[in-house]
Amino acid sequence: MIVIIDYGMGNIASVEKSIKNIGRDVIISNDINIISNASSIILPGVGSFKQGMENLIQRNLINVLTEEVIKKKKPFLGICLGMQLIMDKGYEPVETDGLGWIKGEVIPIENQKLPLPHLGWNNIYSNGVKEDNIDNNFFFIHSYHVTLNESVETTFVDYEFPIVASLKKDNIFATQFHPEKSQNAGLDLLNNFFTSHA
Amino acid sequence: MLKVRIIPVLTFNGISLVKTKQFSNPRIVGNPIQAAKVYNSRNVDELVFVDINATKQNRKINLPVVKKVIDECFMPVTIGGGIKTLDDINNLLRIGADKVLIKTMALNNLNFIVEAVKYFGSQCISIAVDVIKHESARYIFDRNDNKILLEQFMNDINKCEVGEIILTSVNEDGMMQGYDLELINTVVNMTKVPVVSLGGAGKLSHFEELAARGYDGAYAAASIYHFTQYTPREVKLILKNSNIPVRL
Repeated sequence: MIVIIDYGMGNIASVEKSIKNIGRDVIISNDINIISNASSIILPGVGSFKQGMENLIQRNLINVLTEEVIKKKKPFLGICLGMQLIMDKGYEPVETDGLGWIKGEVIPIENQKLPLPHLGWNNIYSNGVKEDNIDNNFFFIHSYHVTLNESVETTFVDYEFPIVASLKKDNIFATQFHPEKSQNAGLDLLNNFFTSHA
Repeated sequence: MLKVRIIPVLTFNGISLVKTKQFSNPRIVGNPIQAAKVYNSRNVDELVFVDINATKQNRKINLPVVKKVIDECFMPVTIGGGIKTLDDINNLLRIGADKVLIKTMALNNLNFIVEAVKYFGSQCISIAVDVIKHESARYIFDRNDNKILLEQFMNDINKCEVGEIILTSVNEDGMMQGYDLELINTVVNMTKVPVVSLGGAGKLSHFEELAARGYDGAYAAASIYHFTQYTPREVKLILKNSNIPVRL
């Protein structure tokens, strides 16, 4: 059973719908026992970094998440805010400590020309190979982005400058984009993640 | 590269889908759930769904219907109509809406917009800017006939850090004679947030006209998809021919 963490930060229903669509059992919960017994954990979320951390703290979720993901190495998928919260620190709207599982920070996108937020479909790439087709276009909607202070497997997206689109370290996989909103490209990505960790 | 988004808009009267002309004379155009299913299968980039009568009839949006619409969609969905409280927004986000579209509360109580942005984040708060041209001045369309100038409203909205503006030309709504390019240009130059252009598309060349201006936001439309043979895919193909980045 895959658990989607319910911590009051929106967007949960679409994640649940996508996981069901790829044929996996899923439950939305913030119950510590359910999280402990889950096979994998999804931390979704939209909203501000500070509100996200406060909501995790209020619901006593920090310890159980750290125990399951860092100690027990359970497969973990962070989406959008759920990717940002695993970093050391965020600044939306003020400096706030994150879960600190990956070394780095979450800072505002400071671009010159293009509008904010970075909103829409954009192609991701790794190793500088910039193909652009329906399979590698994902839906982004964010005004803050991750900067890494450790070396992990990454993909990037260009929005005046390269922005981390996804990161992977051991059992942790996290995306700045929304696979649950990215039609077949997103469903394939989710399916690949849960198949490789089945 | 970020793609130009091609977005169909569904307007709902509480019972059926309708399409208006200049925000009046609603004509019934079908079933919302069926329409959402078709658009999902056509890989549209997003969907906008608005209950255009909720505020007027002082009722809440029908959440079970909205949920069925959203359940058909594996792309982002923006939902609008009758939003008055943070709970209204939360209820929509909980059933899978990605963005909410707000108009009346933005006109009546700007602090509500500030609160909503603070709680839910900029990215999910979209503002409907419905503009009516009267003689040479542009006003926000408002059934209470408050003559709020476009410029004044945009100044207010710019202070709220919203995520997106859906800009509709009321004069061009349903007319299928082309976008109001001058209006779009004016608004794009007034704000830094992404602008979705709506109102007037009736032919493929109307999208090319938008693209020719070099504007790379989002192109929304309704009538062309209801009343002609064209689908969003044909719009994308014609744009790709003009070297506009689209998701195909």
